[in-house]
Amino acid sequence: MNNYRRYALAASISAALMLPMAAAAEIRIGIAGPMTGPVAQYGDMQFSGARMAIQRINASGGVNGEMLEAVEVDDVCDPKQAVTVANRLVNEGVSFVVGHLCSSSTQPASDIYEDEGILMITPAATSPDITARGYELVFRTIGLDSMQGPVAAQHLISLEPERVAIVHDKQQYGEGIATAVRNELEEAGVNVVMFEGITAGDKDFSSLVTKLKQANVDYVYYGGYHPELGLILRQARQADLNATFMGPEGVGNKDINTIAGEASEGLLVTLPPSFDEKEENQELVKAFQDKGEDPSGPFVLTSYTAVQLIADGIEQAGSTDPFEVAEALREGTFETPIGTVSYNENGDMEAFEFVVYEWHADGSKTPVN
Amino acid sequence: MHDLLYFCQQLINGLTIGSAYALIAIGYTMVYGIIGMINFAHGEIYMIGAYTALIAITGLAALGIAWLPIVLLVALICAVIVSSSMGWAVERVAYRPVRGRHRLIPLISAIGMSIFLQNYVHLAQGSRNIGFPALIEGGLRLGGDERFQLSISWIQITIFITTFICMSALSLFISRSRLGRACRAVSQDLGMANLLGIDTNRIISATFVIGAALAAVAGLLLGMYYGSVDPLFGFVAGLKAFTAAVLGGIGSIPGAMLGGLILGIAEAMTSGYLSGEYKDVISFSLLILILLFRPTGLLGKPEVEKI
Repeated sequence: MNNYRRYALAASISAALMLPMAAAAEIRIGIAGPMTGPVAQYGDMQFSGARMAIQRINASGGVNGEMLEAVEVDDVCDPKQAVTVANRLVNEGVSFVVGHLCSSSTQPASDIYEDEGILMITPAATSPDITARGYELVFRTIGLDSMQGPVAAQHLISLEPERVAIVHDKQQYGEGIATAVRNELEEAGVNVVMFEGITAGDKDFSSLVTKLKQANVDYVYYGGYHPELGLILRQARQADLNATFMGPEGVGNKDINTIAGEASEGLLVTLPPSFDEKEENQELVKAFQDKGEDPSGPFVLTSYTAVQLIADGIEQAGSTDPFEVAEALREGTFETPIGTVSYNENGDMEAFEFVVYEWHADGSKTPVN
Repeated sequence: MHDLLYFCQQLINGLTIGSAYALIAIGYTMVYGIIGMINFAHGEIYMIGAYTALIAITGLAALGIAWLPIVLLVALICAVIVSSSMGWAVERVAYRPVRGRHRLIPLISAIGMSIFLQNYVHLAQGSRNIGFPALIEGGLRLGGDERFQLSISWIQITIFITTFICMSALSLFISRSRLGRACRAVSQDLGMANLLGIDTNRIISATFVIGAALAAVAGLLLGMYYGSVDPLFGFVAGLKAFTAAVLGGIGSIPGAMLGGLILGIAEAMTSGYLSGEYKDVISFSLLILILLFRPTGLLGKPEVEKI
């Protein structure tokens, strides 16, 4: 027993000696998102954007003379894993986190960050619940499902559908947005004939497709991610289902083309506007292209912005204390690649726009209207 | 009229998926029949079969070979060879060294094997969904009107026929061939079969290999039917096939077939008439009910306590 105490004492003393030294040299920023798993391509966007921001900020002299250093962790978009990696970031002594990506893993992780006094900016999680709990240190650089749902619903309403089916994957993100769309459609008097969940990770959707065919729907809204929608599209085409599908930004990436092939032509997707096509971002876009990376993914520039906001917040607050930085973020207005950012009390952006795109079988997209 | 067509369509959907479950379930049931253990790495072998077939198809496409029968045959042969060797290796690595120990030990080593294989594919092939080319497209359209027609795709027909052929061949093999007779002997009494000069190690290996080969066939067919593969491809399918095997009576080959079909149809009907959300609830409730009222499954023989 005595020996253990001595070791513990020695360990804590050396830890105490080492930590301030590390902190003086640099500001450590945790980047948490899926590096592996079925939605890893979104993680790629996130890491690519965040790394670029860190690189560029360091190249221009860092933040108040201190360099940024990334601590990257993989949450696989799995809520259990998200808690594990959040605890790891706590142990690493990180004060700022860019992440997480999936709403279902962001939510449990944000509890830990809030408790431990770590400031978190999610570049991708759109579930309204995340910022609705009065947390002080939770921000995002993306809109909410409650903003995206209405855009999708309004577009559907403008198409004057006769019968609409809504399908979701029973997860926080998918079901949340599907519910928002349903409510809006029903309010406008659109005939929603089906509202049904599937199991994420499932492969066989033949029964669902048959049911959609029987219900004779002309539009299907899907709340969820691309692996399932890709299969639904493909199996629907095989069964001659003539309906137009629509989904949120979780389905809008090129992987849906490798799964669905030709069947992905004409899919409607609500996405954040293509920030990479904005004039003022061309210099940044070129920096990505020089590195051989693609800045057109929906979460690349939101992640870039998340890092930039942390840096700007630290500069304005003149401190690396997360609470003071949070205060500065709430008070200030920031010019970023995704536009002018200012925050409300919850940590949501005051304004964020979603746009409807039509997806093509070659992976490109064109704005509708 | 529509309602009848709808019912038939869901029945066809259920039969397709049920046939595939049955093909995978054979692997569970044969291994259980012979050594009384569950091969938990079987779902992964099925997944590896699907990946191998996909790699073979992609390779042939790169070589410019596009004649469908050749592509399918080569993909099938590659998948069967790779999966069979995996099946053989699983037995050598995870079962043989611990055979005869407490029953939990091979169970754990098989689960370890399953995790290993899953992660191996994760690393080797990436964790994303990979699209499977639709080699067999189109199908039959029957009855109905513009709005709703009964559609049976060629791939569904291929799945029925292949499953039927595999099952018949396997039954003939077990009941008529020398090796099949040896299998039955080993399953009745391993020790006695050994005394009578049957090379039981070989028989047990053969069982794993046959099960794995059928899983590879299922992997190729379902890969084409669904349209994508990922490293978790085998997990749910393995679980369902295991349920099918238990439902039909684990250890019984016709039982696996019956269990697979019942499970497939139950799933399709639940999604069709209730909601897709309750699909798994119904299939696993079915399992619990069967286990409560008929613990040996539908076609299973009551276990006789060996003294």
